[in-house]
Order: sequence, then C-alpha cells, then structure tokens
Amino acid sequence: MTKEERIKKRYRAEKRFKFYGIISILTALLFVFILVQNIVSKGSSAFFRTVIQTEVNFDKDALGLGNNPSKENVLQSDLFDFSVENLLNIYPVDDFERENEILLLFSPDYEIEIKKYLANNLDVIGQTVILELTSSDDIDQLNKGNFPRELPENMRRVSDFQLEVFDKLNSENQISKIFNNYFFSNGDSRDPELAGIGGSLMGSFFTVMICLLLSFPVAILASIYLEEFAPKNRITEIIEININNLAAVPSIVYGLLGLGILLNFMEFPRSTPLVAGITLSLMTLPRIIIPCRASLKAVPPSIREGALAVGASKFQAVFHHVVPLAMPGTLSGTIIGLAQALGETAPLILIGMVAFVVDVPTSPLDPSASLPVQVYLWSESAERGFVEKTSATIMMLLGFLIVMNFIAVYLRQKFERKWN
Amino acid sequence: MKNSKVKISSNNLNVYYGNKQALFDVNLTLNEKEVTALIGPSGCGKSTFIRCINRMNDVIEICRVEGSIKMDGMNINDKGVDVVQLREKVGMVFQKPNPFPKSIYDNIAYGPTIHGVVQNKNQMDELVENCLKKAALWNEVKDRLQEPGTSLSGGQQQRLCIARAISVNPEVILMDEPCSALDPIATAKIEELIDELRKTYTIVIVTHSMAQAVRVSQRTGFFHLGKLIEIDTTEKIFKNPGNNMTQDYITGRFG
Repeated sequence: MTKEERIKKRYRAEKRFKFYGIISILTALLFVFILVQNIVSKGSSAFFRTVIQTEVNFDKDALGLGNNPSKENVLQSDLFDFSVENLLNIYPVDDFERENEILLLFSPDYEIEIKKYLANNLDVIGQTVILELTSSDDIDQLNKGNFPRELPENMRRVSDFQLEVFDKLNSENQISKIFNNYFFSNGDSRDPELAGIGGSLMGSFFTVMICLLLSFPVAILASIYLEEFAPKNRITEIIEININNLAAVPSIVYGLLGLGILLNFMEFPRSTPLVAGITLSLMTLPRIIIPCRASLKAVPPSIREGALAVGASKFQAVFHHVVPLAMPGTLSGTIIGLAQALGETAPLILIGMVAFVVDVPTSPLDPSASLPVQVYLWSESAERGFVEKTSATIMMLLGFLIVMNFIAVYLRQKFERKWN
Repeated sequence: MKNSKVKISSNNLNVYYGNKQALFDVNLTLNEKEVTALIGPSGCGKSTFIRCINRMNDVIEICRVEGSIKMDGMNINDKGVDVVQLREKVGMVFQKPNPFPKSIYDNIAYGPTIHGVVQNKNQMDELVENCLKKAALWNEVKDRLQEPGTSLSGGQQQRLCIARAISVNPEVILMDEPCSALDPIATAKIEELIDELRKTYTIVIVTHSMAQAVRVSQRTGFFHLGKLIEIDTTEKIFKNPGNNMTQDYITGRFG
C-alpha cells in the first residue's frame, strides 16, 4: 500500500466513525422523541376536566338549613336529595331509570362539590347559581373525544339516552373543559375524574426530604473522612470496594432490607414516607459517596499543600479549602442521587407504599403513595381516565427529574472555580 | 557568612519511602539569614530534604523519617512538636504556583486569620499590604485585591505565594524550584526578591539552575543519589569543589 492510499484509508476510517456516531445519536434522539410524544399525547388531556354547567337553586326551604347556617352546619348537613333534585333539572324526565342515567353523567362527588361551594359562599342562599360540576369519567372521555361512540350500545358504558343528553347539553354549551385542579390536589380515588397526584406528590416530597436529611450529611462526612483523613490500609480498601458494590446493588434488595428491618423488626408504620425515606437513603448513600469522593479527589493536592504550608491544620486545610472546592461536584452528585431516589419504585412496593391512599398525607408518618408508585398503580387500571392520568403523572415525574438535573448542572457551573 | 549563626542542622537524617531509602545520613547546617541553594540531579533527594524541614513529608503516608533536624536547638521531629506551629515558623513556596482559588487579599489573609495574628480589619489591610510590598507585588495588584489570585500571571502567582508564605511571619522560607515554571523575566524578579528577603529570613532554595544558585545563594549543597556530597560557600563549590562528582555535575558532565 502506498503512502497516499494509507492516508486516504485513514480519512475514510475517520469519516466512517463520525457517520456511525451521528447515526447512533439520531437513533437515540428518535426514541426520546417517540417516548415524549407518546406520553404527552396521551397525558396532556389529564390536565383538563370536563364540567357540566348546572343550575342550582339554593332555595332556603329546599336546603332545610334554617336561618343563617354556619360553614360547619353546611359541611355536616345532608344535601343529597337537594343535589339530586337540582341535577335532574338539567334534563327533566319522569322515568326512575332515566333519572339514574342522568345522575351517572356526573361524578359521584356532586353532593360534596355543591356543599363546598355553598360553605364558601353562604350569601348565595336564596339565589340560583350556575355551578360547574365535574362530569363522570365516561362523559369526560366523551368530551375529550376518546370515547368510542360508534360501538353498539350494549358494548359501551354510555347508553344512547346518555349520549342524547350529552349532545343536547353540548349543543347548549353547558359542557366545558376547565383546568384540572383536582389532579394536583386530590389523593387517589377509584373514580378517575377525582383521582389526583396530590397525595403522591406530598408522599414523594416527604420521602425525598427524609432521604436528603439522612443521606447527605452521612455521605459528605463519610466521603471527607475516607478521602482526606482515613489511613490507606486494608480496611479502608475493603470499605471502598464495598461502597462501590453497594451502589450497584439492585434497588429492590434495599426494599427487602427496609421490609425486614424497618417494618418487621423495628415496627415502623407501614406505607409511610418515613420508612420510604430511610430505605431510599440507604440506597442513595453509596450513590452520593462515590461522586463526593471523586470531586474531593479532583481538588489538586497543591491546594492542600499550600494550606498546610502556611500552618493550617489538616482539618483547616480540608474544611477551608478542599471541601469548598469540591462543593459543586458534591452538590450535583447529591441531587442526581436524590433524583434517582425520586424515581425509585421497586423498594417502595416492598415496604407497602402501593397501598390505595385517598387522603393527602400531612406528615411523613401518614400512609402515602409516591409518584412512581402512583404510575405503577394507575397503569394497572383499565379506565381510560387512568390511562391519561398515568401518562400525566409520568410527565410530572419527568418534569421534576429534569428540574433537579438542571439545578445540578447550574450549581456545578455557578460554583465551579478554576485553579491554575 | 562571617560569624553566621546556625539556624537549622540535620543529624544523620534518613528518609524512606516505603522500602526505598531516599536520603542517607544527611548532615547539613543552614545558617541564619542566608540563602542556601541545594543542587543535584533529579531524584537526588533535595526536595525530600527540604520537605523534612517543615515536616511536609508527614502528609505522605509511606514516608518515614529517621534522625534529627534541629531548629534553634530543638528537634523538630520530636513527638511533642506541633506541626502547625512548626509550619508557622517554616514557610514554603512550591514548584508550581498554587494560590488558593480565592481573592488576592484572601490568599494573604488566610494564614494570619487561622493563626489569629491580627485583631481587626485595619491591621489585616496593613499586613496584606506589607506582605505584598515585601513580595514586590503591591504595585501590580493594589487596585485589584479582590480579583482571584488565579487570574494573575505565573510569575505574579509565584510572588503571591511568597507573600502568602511571609504573611505568617516565618523564620525560614523553603523554596522548591520556585522558578522552574516561570519565564526568565519572572525568574529575574523572583531572584531579586529572594536577595531582598535574605535580610529577614533564612532561605533554602532547591534549584536545577546552576546559574541561579550562583546568583542567589551564599552557600550551596550538592546532593547525589540521596547523599549530601558536599556543602560549602557557593563561591567555593562553583570555583573549586572538593569532590569530583560536584565538579562533573556543575560543569554539565552528568545530571
């Protein structure tokens, strides 16, 4: 082979390599695009809910609450019959079966919705108000265009009569889509139109906070000690190898640990963010220690020597100079570790966080779900409402992860100081 | 030079890195307010020796030091000696300028702060100014004391490191090839500075440049393979060395 041929061959190899690289990046981007497109197209409708504008006549006698009822009186009263009567007015019929079908257009919580409105607006007594009441899941899907109307009547969940009522209401602009605040404030529910991620959001928040409070200080101190102070001998070597191994242990094993020790032996409350946080912090610890040690190691030894040479003690050299310089890497490592913990499902299933929890937790000791577990739970439900909610929850989860990663990148860039 | 008082003397100093012996029975004296240059081929133990004087070798885990180094009559390798106090008295300037990634001001102020030398901000300002003046850097940086020390040029950084070393008012300054990373102009400035500092401090400088040893030092020691071959006045070493190896080294026949 002549020299010229060799050079040509070299250039060709380089071009080929670049081409392969571009192809693989494009492939990866294509899959990311398909994933995001799929989730967004399925999930974005979950951020809206269908409401039926219903005339409610808050007649004093019909309410039967007496004169000047207080907020508590309203909330404790029984307004079921009152609510039913008002709902039936949207399409008057005299058949009991038909009446029932009309009520099924609404979400089963209509009495509570009316009560809450009244409790917050006591001055409407004696007036007629148009309220936006949440529709049932089927009507919601019908309104969003996801419902198979063309199927024969015995194969769909909405009867011909209900379709007729819906179309009439729709033509009179009594059906509209509004922002789904329930999705963010409510806990789980058997009715898709009422189910929300409020409970799992709080659960995830408490879990990640506990995980942060437990794992961050321990990981930082452990990595500083191991990197800066510990003698290099057999024991520290074994510890180091084990930390690296622990970071690779499947997360479900930590779930078993949490189940065995925290729940069965120490009898901590089941399904709580407390247990989840402790379990996840065990999992996160090695994953934080490794980047922390790496960033400590990356601080040039000349900085340590410079500090020692002006008479700083080892402790001062480490805490005045090395640790601040390692901070960006340490913080971003911690955030990435927490982001992993936020997305973890398997260990939480083992410690009972798959429970169906309706109430939004107010403390880490309340039973709760978490975002990824909520995705898991809803993905098993057949209702169309849950399908879109599953995707919407994934969007929320991905959103949080992206935000956390951005914070990590930002911290790294903002505080990274250059030496030499 | 005449009637020089001995500041530091080493007695049968042996240093080991693990199983490898780096220094063999080094007996050497350093005189007060004099510049002593240590020369010799790479790996001969010059740096190891000066790192013994402020016990910087303590940092290296596998390093073991035997024998004694006496400073003002006190053995610095004694168990009771506090390394922090020793290093306050023995400052060090490294081969590569290593300012802290902080402001110029903070670079100087760090030592005095941790030793609690100054009481208030005014005293600190004064001290920082003094140190920078002594290091012949004041005029170049007085308007930008809050800029990072790492933004300075290499020579300025090294002078900043010298200023940092003298900020805690040491008695001895160790310099480990302070000019090896600098260009000739910066080197000339540092050499001028060393000459000036000699009036106040005892200085030990490790150098690979014979010319530099001649220019800045009063006494020169020649190391080879971990042994101190000879130490004498710089004039004698370079004009009439007592040992053939020294003669060969300074004339460039090996090393």
